[in-house]
Amino acid sequence: MIFMKYISKSEQETRAIAKKVAAELKGGETLCLIGDLGAGKTAFTKGLARALGVKQIITSPTFVLMKNYKTTGQRSIKQLTHIDAYRLSEGRELEAIGALEYFNGKDCVTVIEWADRVRDAWPKKIIKVEFRILKGERREIEIK
Amino acid sequence: MVKEKQLKILAIETSCDETATAVLKFSRGKVEILSNIVSSQIDIHKKYGGVVPEVAARHHVENILPVTSESLARSGLRPVEIDLLAVTSGPGLVTSLTIGVETARALSLDWQKPLLAVNHMYAHIAGNFLQPISFPAVCLVVSGGHTEIIYLKDYWQFKKIGQTVDDAAGEAFDKVAKLLNLGYPGGPAVSATAEKFSIQNFQFTKKIELPRPMIKADNFDFSFSGLKTAVLYAVKKMPSKEKEKRTAEVCWEFQEAAIEVLTTKTIKAAKKYGVKTVLLAGGVAANKRLRESLKAAAEQVGYDFLVPEFKLCTDNAAMVGLAAGFLAKKQKVKLDNWKKIKADPNWELV
Repeated sequence: MIFMKYISKSEQETRAIAKKVAAELKGGETLCLIGDLGAGKTAFTKGLARALGVKQIITSPTFVLMKNYKTTGQRSIKQLTHIDAYRLSEGRELEAIGALEYFNGKDCVTVIEWADRVRDAWPKKIIKVEFRILKGERREIEIK
Repeated sequence: MVKEKQLKILAIETSCDETATAVLKFSRGKVEILSNIVSSQIDIHKKYGGVVPEVAARHHVENILPVTSESLARSGLRPVEIDLLAVTSGPGLVTSLTIGVETARALSLDWQKPLLAVNHMYAHIAGNFLQPISFPAVCLVVSGGHTEIIYLKDYWQFKKIGQTVDDAAGEAFDKVAKLLNLGYPGGPAVSATAEKFSIQNFQFTKKIELPRPMIKADNFDFSFSGLKTAVLYAVKKMPSKEKEKRTAEVCWEFQEAAIEVLTTKTIKAAKKYGVKTVLLAGGVAANKRLRESLKAAAEQVGYDFLVPEFKLCTDNAAMVGLAAGFLAKKQKVKLDNWKKIKADPNWELV
């Protein structure tokens, strides 16, 4: 995985960065997205999903908390699990919605938005993606 | 079921943070709501700034039996007089849905009454079925979790022709309320703050312009995520001493932007599909400005316009009973149907 800092100047660039990240994924990864409202977490997820070959429209899972999408194209990745922890206050709530069974599933990539709210439920190995709002439309996206 | 003169339905709804039960009577084309009880958890979730799934589930467990027995008592019916049970089985929060679904299954088995699973979004649309409808129709369904346009050929044949590509409209209201520290639930908070601005003479003071995302796009889809981000930029640009004064203006402009897109695209869909009626449904249908805007636009073109009364817009079980009553006209519900029903958080209308 390329661990580095990017500066994105637009939503399109954020999606393009996600595409680069997607190219590195093999399945079994959990991406923890952290950043404020409007920082680009959903745009990143949309870019990632598109690059993994998800055909459906990725809509916000804030209301139902978790949505699963079938991927096409990538040989080893079969599913994208999109979790939104915006309304959760602790990790064990992820268990209640049945999310834990997808973590580290070999053919599944899991994306958790607002991951800092459920830090106690993070799997051991994660890819942390931090978004910082800079001036105007500029965003710093740090992957580590 | 089709031949029965009367159909008495007990319906349960627990898809989010309202525990609700209703009893309805269908007889010879007439529908009567005998009772409609909603136990809201808004005050409980207020302090968290949104629905907390586990807290919601715990309160559903505590409320479901008292609410159900109260609803039955007010209807004046005994369990043996109920012909059909109905329950929302999705979409929604899985932890909340499960309480309603399992309660309904237990009642079905114990009372020996058939149970029908109802889609929550179809139930919202069915909130309009108290009055006769001239089909075909389009329905704008807007809530905290959904924003979609459904084309209805009749009560039973429908398809989704447009939807949000990111956030739901209600979710955008909630998030804007959070950005502006207006509290929860966000929809009513943003609207109330917007009202403070509209009673001033805004032509001379309005400085903020927000985008109308996808309003010109050649489809019936929506996008509200960018609008929320535009609000963020507008707030950041404000001089801090003006922030409080300008909050009302931001709310007003945000609400106008959202409503203009919702109205324009729904009318566009109505024209494309040659409908007779425009329907509005879902929790955000309780928004007064949206009701006025869509009504005016629909009636200007010559469409009938229907929207449920306020208490049938926000989550309730009467709409679930209405949906079930119409669905039961077209299908026979078996006594052991409860065995097949389970909560399905991602059950979307297609």
